[in-house]
Amino acid sequence: MSAERPPATIPEVRLRDLRPSVSPVELVGRVVSFDRREVVRKSDQSRRPLLSGLLSDGTATVRFTWWDPPREGIERGTILRAVGVEVREFRDRPEVTFTWRTRVSAAGPADLPRVDSEEIPFRSVSELGPPDEGFRVEVRVVRIAPRTVTVGEERRVVHDGLVADRSGAIALSSWSDFGLLPGEAVRISGGYVRQFRGRSQLVLDERATVVRVEGRDLPAPEALLRAPPRTIAAVEDAGGGETVAVEGVVVGLLPPSGLVYRCPTCARTVKNGICRIHGQVEGRADLRARIVLDDGTGALTVNAGRAETERLWGVTLDDARRRLREQPDPSLIEEALLESLLGRRLRVRGVGTKDDFGVTVVPESIEPVEVDLDAAAAELAARLSGGT
Amino acid sequence: MALREPAWRVTARELETSLEEEKGVGDRAASYLLSPFAARMNRVLVAGTLSPAEPIGRDETQPFWRSRLTDPTGAVAVTAGSFQPRAMAQLRSSPAPRPALVVGKTHLYRGRDGVGYVSVRAEGMRFVGEAEERAEVAEIVRQSLDRLDLVERIAREPSVPDATLAAEGIPRTWIRAARESLRRYPNVDRVAFRRDLRPAVRHVAGDSGPIAPGPAPPPSVTITRAPPAPPAPPPRTAAERAEESAFLDRLDELADASADGYADLKELVARLADEGVSAERAELVLGRLEEDGVVEEPIVGKLRRA
Repeated sequence: MSAERPPATIPEVRLRDLRPSVSPVELVGRVVSFDRREVVRKSDQSRRPLLSGLLSDGTATVRFTWWDPPREGIERGTILRAVGVEVREFRDRPEVTFTWRTRVSAAGPADLPRVDSEEIPFRSVSELGPPDEGFRVEVRVVRIAPRTVTVGEERRVVHDGLVADRSGAIALSSWSDFGLLPGEAVRISGGYVRQFRGRSQLVLDERATVVRVEGRDLPAPEALLRAPPRTIAAVEDAGGGETVAVEGVVVGLLPPSGLVYRCPTCARTVKNGICRIHGQVEGRADLRARIVLDDGTGALTVNAGRAETERLWGVTLDDARRRLREQPDPSLIEEALLESLLGRRLRVRGVGTKDDFGVTVVPESIEPVEVDLDAAAAELAARLSGGT
Repeated sequence: MALREPAWRVTARELETSLEEEKGVGDRAASYLLSPFAARMNRVLVAGTLSPAEPIGRDETQPFWRSRLTDPTGAVAVTAGSFQPRAMAQLRSSPAPRPALVVGKTHLYRGRDGVGYVSVRAEGMRFVGEAEERAEVAEIVRQSLDRLDLVERIAREPSVPDATLAAEGIPRTWIRAARESLRRYPNVDRVAFRRDLRPAVRHVAGDSGPIAPGPAPPPSVTITRAPPAPPAPPPRTAAERAEESAFLDRLDELADASADGYADLKELVARLADEGVSAERAELVLGRLEEDGVVEEPIVGKLRRA
């Protein structure tokens, strides 16, 4: 790394203001993540080392590519000053490239652009989507709980939860302990949004700021957790959601349902004794139901686990295994499960994600619905007499 | 990718009045039965009393059973064949009329005289208790009224934008169906249909007791042949299919790489020539794919997937 000072003619820009241009720029940023690899040139088979990753300066994060980088001295969190950087656009997002013309030097936190929190625009939760950052939100903590995860070699605690404002709810994943409690209203800045397993997630780390606020306009946690069901068509339009609540009738089961076998290592379902990742394994028996729920406006899949399947069906995993021993045909188990579920009216709450096949809900609760026939008849009679 | 078709909650009466169809085009396209009351049905959920099934057809290798589902507004045929083994087994299992829920695909058969007969090909069904059947009839009537209100509103106010209706929480599929209903059935009597729902409400209230099954269909009817299908194109040989798939692969590659999303025909032919496909062969394959509606040429020399 060279320690030369930049010539005054090259403008220093914040990453937020980065635009593709022919003239090189100067910038300061922190390495958020990076990978090293080598690129083989086709013409002469020569190898060139390459370092690429994400660079952030608190106003935005951009992808960077560094040709012929130093072998050492780059780590997560390293702050760099780069002079003579090329800016290009890829898929409508700016990217920067450090070439042989670029002079890269070490910098300190004081060199990062000062971001006045008052400058950061407020956004509503429904507007947030990956890879947003550089925004402020005011939200209610609906739920939050610590969880231990293994990141590489390291054990770390992450605080997982859900936050919401009037416009919607988003999953929260905080790698830093802000002492958040359910029910609290907070103003958050310095977070960013990423896509994780098909869901948008607001991620906070030590760079984020959390301030308690009164939050009079924010919904109460109960209002979100006990919201009345919406139509499945509306859930499909919204692409799922963190607090999906729907009511419908079971119209079918998707495979694999019933008695399934899971890989002991990764819990994926095992087909013919073969796990997709771990090869030949001794599968562990499990009970599940992939329920197709339909309310007349649309249909979605509810992935019921063992506990819910046992409760809805009234048959335990052990019962199912006993049945299988008596009649060694697993399709009979699935048939019996469908027989007991088809046409049943259920109210389902959970997290919904959408893919090419529609919305799938991982349920937090599945409740059979009892219809009050007298009330229904009275309501319908009133509508009929009023309408003619 | 098409989402799963919802099961429209409809009465037998609504199915009896549905005589318009929308045939899908292209690969694995769904067909829809259009009702006068804002239902565009590929799949339905019906509830009522199911009469014992009788076999139709004489081909023992292709069993086909038919039963009749009667609800307080009318009756509709429910069928199941060897492609719906589970539903067929259940249909056959009941010796006496019993309340049931049926989920299935709509089917419109037009006889020689032009009269249409609607049936439901069961995908799944379950015999249920009377209370459960009444609860489902309640939901069917509620959604029928919701859709009827929607059609009447659009009839009064045809210029209301879809976005306004959608913002009120009305499913877009319903709005589309309502507009189509008004176009296809401009003179239908919606007041009469509303009146026809009254017995169903009395049934929900439990005033009318269990539904008596409708009159049995005339015993003389035996269908030995399926209704004539539209003439199918001659089946493709494996070689032809391979040719088509290679053609489409190259087309996709070119379309992906091009700025405008079209594959240039000349480039495509050149690429295929590299692979040993003659220009004449390529034209022939293109002709087939265009005829099938898989590929289109909106600008001369520019191709894309239809």
